[in-house]
This record gives sequence, structure tokens and C-alpha cells, in this order.
Amino acid sequence: MRKPYVQRQRADWWLRNPAYRRYMLREATALPLFLYSLLLMSGLYQFTRGEAAFLAWLELLRSPWLLALHGMALAAALYHAVTWIALVPKILVIDSDRLRVSPATVKRAHQLGAVTCNAGLLLLALLLLRAAGGN
Amino acid sequence: MTDKVTVRVQRYRPEEDAAPWEQSFEVPYSEDLSILDALNQIKDQQDPTLSHRWSCRMAICGSCGVMVNNEPKLSCKTFLRDYREQGAVTVRALDNFPIERDLVSDISGFIDHLETVQPWLIREQETAVSEGAYPQTPEQMQRYAAFGQCINCGLCYAACPQFGRDPAFLGPGALALAQRYNLDSRDQGAAQRMQWLNAEEGVWSCTFVGSCSEVCPKDVDPAAAINRGKVASDINYAVNLFNILRGKDDA
Amino acid sequence: MSSPEITTLQADIVIVGGGGAGLRAAIAAAEANPRLDILLLSKVYPMRSHTVAAEGGCAGVIQPHDSFDAHFDDTVSGGDWLCDQDVVDYFVRHATEENLRLEHWGCPWSRNADGSINVRAFGGMKIERTWFAADKSGFHILHTLFQTSLKYPSIRRCDEYFCTDLLVEDGACAGIQAIDMRNGSHTVISASAVILATGGAARVYRYNTNGGIVTGDGMALAYRQGVPLRDMEFVQYHPTGLPGSGILITEAARGEGGVLTNRDGYRYLQDYGLGPETPLGEPKNKHMELGPRDRLSQAFWHEAKAGRALATSRGEAVNLDLRHLGEARINERLPFIRDLARTYVNVDAVYEPIPVRPTAHYTMGGIQTDRHTATALPGLFAAGECASVGLHGANRLGSNSLAELGVFGRVAGEQAAARAGEGAVLDPQRLLARAEDNAARLDALRESSGSESLASIRDAMARAMEEGAGIFRLPGQMQQTCTAIAELKERYCKLGLVDRSRAFNTEWLNAIELGYLLDVAEAMAHAALARKESRGSHQRPEDFPQRDDGQFLKHSLVYRAADVPRLEWQDVVITRSQPAERHYGGAGQQEAKS
Repeated sequence: MRKPYVQRQRADWWLRNPAYRRYMLREATALPLFLYSLLLMSGLYQFTRGEAAFLAWLELLRSPWLLALHGMALAAALYHAVTWIALVPKILVIDSDRLRVSPATVKRAHQLGAVTCNAGLLLLALLLLRAAGGN
Repeated sequence: MTDKVTVRVQRYRPEEDAAPWEQSFEVPYSEDLSILDALNQIKDQQDPTLSHRWSCRMAICGSCGVMVNNEPKLSCKTFLRDYREQGAVTVRALDNFPIERDLVSDISGFIDHLETVQPWLIREQETAVSEGAYPQTPEQMQRYAAFGQCINCGLCYAACPQFGRDPAFLGPGALALAQRYNLDSRDQGAAQRMQWLNAEEGVWSCTFVGSCSEVCPKDVDPAAAINRGKVASDINYAVNLFNILRGKDDA
Repeated sequence: MSSPEITTLQADIVIVGGGGAGLRAAIAAAEANPRLDILLLSKVYPMRSHTVAAEGGCAGVIQPHDSFDAHFDDTVSGGDWLCDQDVVDYFVRHATEENLRLEHWGCPWSRNADGSINVRAFGGMKIERTWFAADKSGFHILHTLFQTSLKYPSIRRCDEYFCTDLLVEDGACAGIQAIDMRNGSHTVISASAVILATGGAARVYRYNTNGGIVTGDGMALAYRQGVPLRDMEFVQYHPTGLPGSGILITEAARGEGGVLTNRDGYRYLQDYGLGPETPLGEPKNKHMELGPRDRLSQAFWHEAKAGRALATSRGEAVNLDLRHLGEARINERLPFIRDLARTYVNVDAVYEPIPVRPTAHYTMGGIQTDRHTATALPGLFAAGECASVGLHGANRLGSNSLAELGVFGRVAGEQAAARAGEGAVLDPQRLLARAEDNAARLDALRESSGSESLASIRDAMARAMEEGAGIFRLPGQMQQTCTAIAELKERYCKLGLVDRSRAFNTEWLNAIELGYLLDVAEAMAHAALARKESRGSHQRPEDFPQRDDGQFLKHSLVYRAADVPRLEWQDVVITRSQPAERHYGGAGQQEAKS
């Protein structure tokens, strides 16, 4: 008689091959970024409590653990950006009778956008610091 | 003394076994021996009770999907010569599907998903064949050509962890087939198929693992099909929302 | 143990086989009468059917300088005048419309730059009329038909049901019996009309292009109920299969300009009435490599006999050279072929010639039907390769068989629908007694404990057919093959199977298939012996080297009998094309001019 054997997905399915492991690493970049966003929110909160509280929070950031978190969050953000931009040409396909944009162009545009936004924000931050330092 | 290679095959006989088990065979090796050839040799000369699906032997019918050393492959297009270094080869039924018997999977869920997405040319107005073919340029055909190469082998479903987690997910094959028609310039049914793309078990169950496209023997690139579908779904959502806000409820 | 329960089902029409013909018939019946209940039953999921492997294309007159008459003439002469000309006439007039219908259903026919349908040259065709979908025409046709069939709620499917018997009651076909492969149980399905669309039987041969499932099931089922098999001696060897596996390399490779050379690099076809040699890259219809398949296969046989074939590790072969086409054209028109050659013989067609040899490919013969696809058994219809509707005669032209699926698949569906519309379906209970006998016989086969092994009988049959019913048929060998098949049928009665299970027992199903193959082989071998002439793909160079229209302008009919099958002959329908000599190459041009 018929008795199909149902194969349940194993909890460690992602350990099975390198492609799955890379995928989980990509998804795992959410974790450091999540922790980093918690950190930023705590900083925002300290800011509302006044200058002393905020300066104390800034001092805390110099601790080795939090420096490490910063490093990991940056690495995670970069890895995510790189893997995301690699996938964008598959997702955003502009190929119709009226308009056609090559996958290479889509990728370049995102790379350019990413660099511009980050460089721009960095520049803005530096300018604000200079302005603040001038007072 | 002929060169031999060890082929381990997962067995499962529903009338006798509670769970799958592994059986080991020695098969005479040759340079162009495929896994399918090995399985046929085993069945003919060693154990006739081994059941496996196959037909065309040229990777076009899609029957012979199995896991070879934990990777989804077509047994007719996978060769023992590529596994010499690894020593032994283990063959079992596709992941993520129930096992019917030995290497035969129950793929009825996959077939149902294929049938769900309305995979036929939808026209608002049919014209008579006497009026000739619908025109379509080679450029227009290129837009859906890759998505139309699917041989329904199911390897992508075996590779997809989201389908493994939830068999209700329409999956790469069905969604690529939906897109094959959506992108066909002769088709006018994208609006009707949107309900399948939009669903939770449609494109939104996909997290772009990408393994489906890696294992596809026909370079269909179902991951691209699904994720382009997300853009289409987003646009559809936005347009509907806009219409609702304008008071033009299209529901 | 009491006999197992037999499930009963009922439908207006049962179609056995889910390939091109079966699916087209289902759709035609559903459109003809949407109230009919249509059951499509197949031992594989429909997209696995061997239609999927066809590569080259599907014929249909479309160019302004082409005509139905020209397609008719090419087909009739290609068939060495054994075609029923009324059938050919009907076919050529409806092939184009079927191709257009497929296009309307989404089939991705390759196009010209302006969006119109592209056609390519093909063997034996004077004017290009072969529609193609890259080099996977059969794949695209089959998937288009399968996906379109899903539109019709009146078509239901029994996937992976193995048909084991036709059930005849009151002199008419009243239904079928099948095994549900998942659990090994028996099912009876009563119907007003049964359509067999089960494909060919080239698996009787050792080297063939066919998939494992192409085992002549419908032919044997009809044969066992007294329906004659017609023109079984005509088996087409496709000139270009890969040595060893027999995997098909499409004729389109030659249509695009590929050439065949022997071990000396010489284009030998010019020595076999297909010359003069055409310039490289400029193929000329009906010349050289675009000659008909029987002539090309026969030329190989002679070259090999003369020691001019290549010796490869997988047997003798000749070269199919595509290098002069260039990478771009190969990737555009023949990408699948490039992939096949690389995967299976480790050759990149862009840089090296592909080794090829003639391989058993297509069964011109089959279940006798009239031009409406009706068989001698009321209620039983047949279409596609399993049928002999009278289209192909002694040799089929490439791209006519995919076209046949559409034209006669539709006819079968419409005819079956008409019959189903008239009569009532028998209560399946009335068929149970017979079904129980069948089930007992099949279950006994599964439990058999004889001394003979499936694989050895199968291999012996395949070798015998290769020897006595191959490209050239030699007198002593044909008789030996007939005797060998008879012996094998006796050995089959002493089969011993190992797998006693019921759930997806493929050894059991393979054994049933072997029984079908032996019946078909018997018909083929005896028909070959009886036809004392050479015509088309049936060549007897030693004893009867000439065509004999006086005695043999007839179809052979093989009827199953107690020990040796009974042979009868049926006149060929000749309307406007009187038998003449088949001319190809330069001789053909001279013929045309005179």
C-alpha cells in the first residue's frame, strides 16, 4: 500500500552546503545592525536627558565591546550592500518595448547611488562637526 | 579486474519499511557512466527491487531528479567521473518532497502549484487562426525565453529551503512559469495571475536564497522570475492603494 | 487471499497517453463538447512523454511560393508511394492551421526579425516548411499543449496510471484497465470511446533515440484485441544519433548546413544518389545531407561495411560537422545540440565534429486506423506514432510527425467526442468479471518465480531486432529473428521477478512493458519477412533489392494468432500521384525539369 515518507526539514538544513551557509550569513547581517540600531536609540534617549548624559553615552562608545560592535555593524552593512547590489539586476529588470536598461547599468547606478549617499552623508557629518567645532 | 565505484542508494519500501535506509552497491566504472546508467545497471544486474524514474536520458523530460551527494541533480546528466575524488556517491530521493518509494518522490504538490498559476496564454479577445500568427519579434521572445525552458524536474523545489519549510509556497518552478506567460508579449493575463504572485505563498515567501537558480539544469533562473514578480506585486499594490484612496475601489 | 478490490471509474472518453497526440485529442474533445467528461491517463506525467525529446520542427505550408501540392508530393515520394494519398492530402491541408493554433496557445515558434514565423529546410522537403522552436520544438509543443489542457475543467487526469488492458464488450471497446502505480491496485474505467495515443516502439532495438517509456504499449494492447498492426516492417533509423546512447541529434543540424563526412573527411552522400556535392554552408533541399532519412541511414551502412566509418569507443560512427556554421549561429539555432554533444560525448560542436550514427527512431507503422483515426474495433481510436493512419508510408519525412500529432490528435478527439455524444457509457460493474481475470493474470506475473530474467530477455530481443530487422534486412537473419522472438515469448512465460511489492513496483511494470515489446517485435519481424521487396526504410539488398509495385503496393496487416501471426494485405489509396522513382540530389532536379 501507499505510505509516502514525509521528510521534515532539519533544523540544521543550512549547514548542509556552502550556498546555504552564505545565505544565512547574509541574512545574519541583520543581527549586528539590529543591535546597532538599539544602541543608537539608547543614545537618542540619553540625548533627551541632557548634555551630561549624552557625553557619558559617547564615552561609553569608546569601550572595546562597543567599538567591536561598530566594526561588526559596518562589516555587516557593507556585506549586505555588496550582496544586495549584486542581486538588484535580477530584481529590477527594465526591458520593455518602450524602455530598456541593461543589467550592468542597473548595477552601476546602484553602486553609484550607494557611494554617493554614503560619501555625501559623511561629508555632511564632517561639515556639521566643523561648524559645531567653530562655536 | 574492472574498476569499480561504490554507489550508496537510499531505499524505502512503504509496505516493509518504517523509514528510509541505505544500501550500498559496487558498479563497474567507465568514463561516460551516468548516475542513471549506474542505477539501471543496479536494477538489471543486482537488485531489481530498486525503483527510480527516468525516460529520455537527455535531460529534457525532467523525470530523473535525485539528490547526489546532497545536491539536486538529474541522474541522466550527472556522471560518476565527477565523483571519483570523493570516492563514494550517495543517491537519494529529492529533498522537500515526500518519498513515495526508493528514489521516487511524490511531486503532486509541485504539479498542483504549476496548475494553480493559470499557465496558459490568456487573451482578452481570441482571434481566429485563419488570421495568422500573433506577431512576436525575436527581442520580444527573448524576454520570456529563459522562463519557458523549465522541464518541470523539481530540482529547484528540492533546493529551496522556503519550500522545505512550507510546501504551500508556490515555489520557483510555478512562479517562473507564471512569469513566462506574464512576460510573453502575446499574453494579456498578468492581472489575473497577480493574485498568485501577490499571495503570502506567492512571491512573498521567497527570501532570495538563490539556490533554485543555481541547481536549475536549464538555466531558467527562477529566482529572477520570482523577485521580478515582487516588483510587479509592489506596483500592483501601489496602484490598487492609489485607486482605493481616490475612491475607485476595484475590489 | 481474496482478489484485491478493483476501483471503478467512468468517463465519456478515456485517452491513454499524454503526449502531443493525447493532449491534442483531449483539448479537441473538450472544445467539441464541453459537457463530456474526459479522462487523460498516462503512465508518466504528461510532460515526460517522448514528444518532449523531438527537436527539429513541425511541418506546415506557409511560404507564398510553397503549396499543399508540393508538401503532398514530398510526403508521398518520401514515403515511397506507400502513403494513403487521401490521408496525406487531408494532412497537408490542415498542418498549417494546427501550427497556428499552437502559436495562439503560446508555442514560441522561432521568428523572423519582423515577427513572422520562421521556417527551416528539412530532409526530403523541396521547399522550407518546417516550423521550429529553436532546437526543442517537441519540448515547446508538448509544454504548450499540456499547459493549455489545464484550461479545460472537463479534462481530468490520471497521472502515473499504467494501462494494462482494453476492455471489450459486445464487440466494442468499452473501456480500459490500469494499474495505479503508486499503490499497485487495479482500476477499471468504462467509457464510450477510447483513444490510444501511446507513442512508438523503437525500444525493441538495442540502439535507439527513444526514452525508456516508448515500449509500444497501445500497439500491443490493440493487437491483443484482434486489431491489426499495419506496416510494422517500416522502422525509421534517424541518421544522426550519438553512438552508444543513441541520443538524438536533430536533422535541423543538417538543415542549418551541417555536413556528414566519413573517416577520410569525405562527404560520402554524393556517392549514393544524393549528389552533386553542395557547397559548404549552402545546404540545398533534397540534396546531400538534406536527403530523406532512409537513404542517409543506408549510406552509412554501406560506408561502415566498406571500412570507411570512424571507430569510436562507443561503436562505429561518421562525423557531423557544424564547425563552419560558427559559434554565433550554433548558439542561436542549435544550442541544445551543442549542450548534448558536450555532455554525452565530450565534444564541442563549435570546434570539433560530432560522432553520429543511424539509430532506431520512429515507427512508421502501428495500429491500423482509417483516415478518421478509427480502428477496426468500434469505440477504439488511435492517433500519433502508435497509429498507422496512412500518412508516412514506407519512410517518414522529418517534421511530419510533430505535425501529425496536431492534425490527427484533433481528429481523434472530435471523433471520440461525436461517438461519446451518441451513446451511453457502460456501467463499469459489467466489466468487472473480465477485469478480475486480467488482474489475476497481472498479479500472477508480479509473483512469478521462473528462471528467466527480465534484463536478459530484453537484451536478447533488442539484439535480435538489430540483427534481423535493422537498416538492411538479410534473408537468413530475418527468419532467425522471427524464430528468436518466438523463443523469447516462450521464455517470457517463465519469467521470474524479484520485487513482490505493489507500491511503485517498476520491475513489474517493466515486465508488462517487455510483454508489449515482444508482441510489437513479433509483428515487425514477421511483416519484414513477408514483404518481398525493398521500399523506403525496408531494404532487402540481397534477395529483393527492387521495389515491386505490382505485388506490394499494399500495406501489410499483422494479426495476432496462436503461434505465428497472420498476414494480410491492404491496398494503398492512390489519388493523384502515381508511383515513380524517388529522386534526390541532381537527379531530382533533372526530373523536375523534364
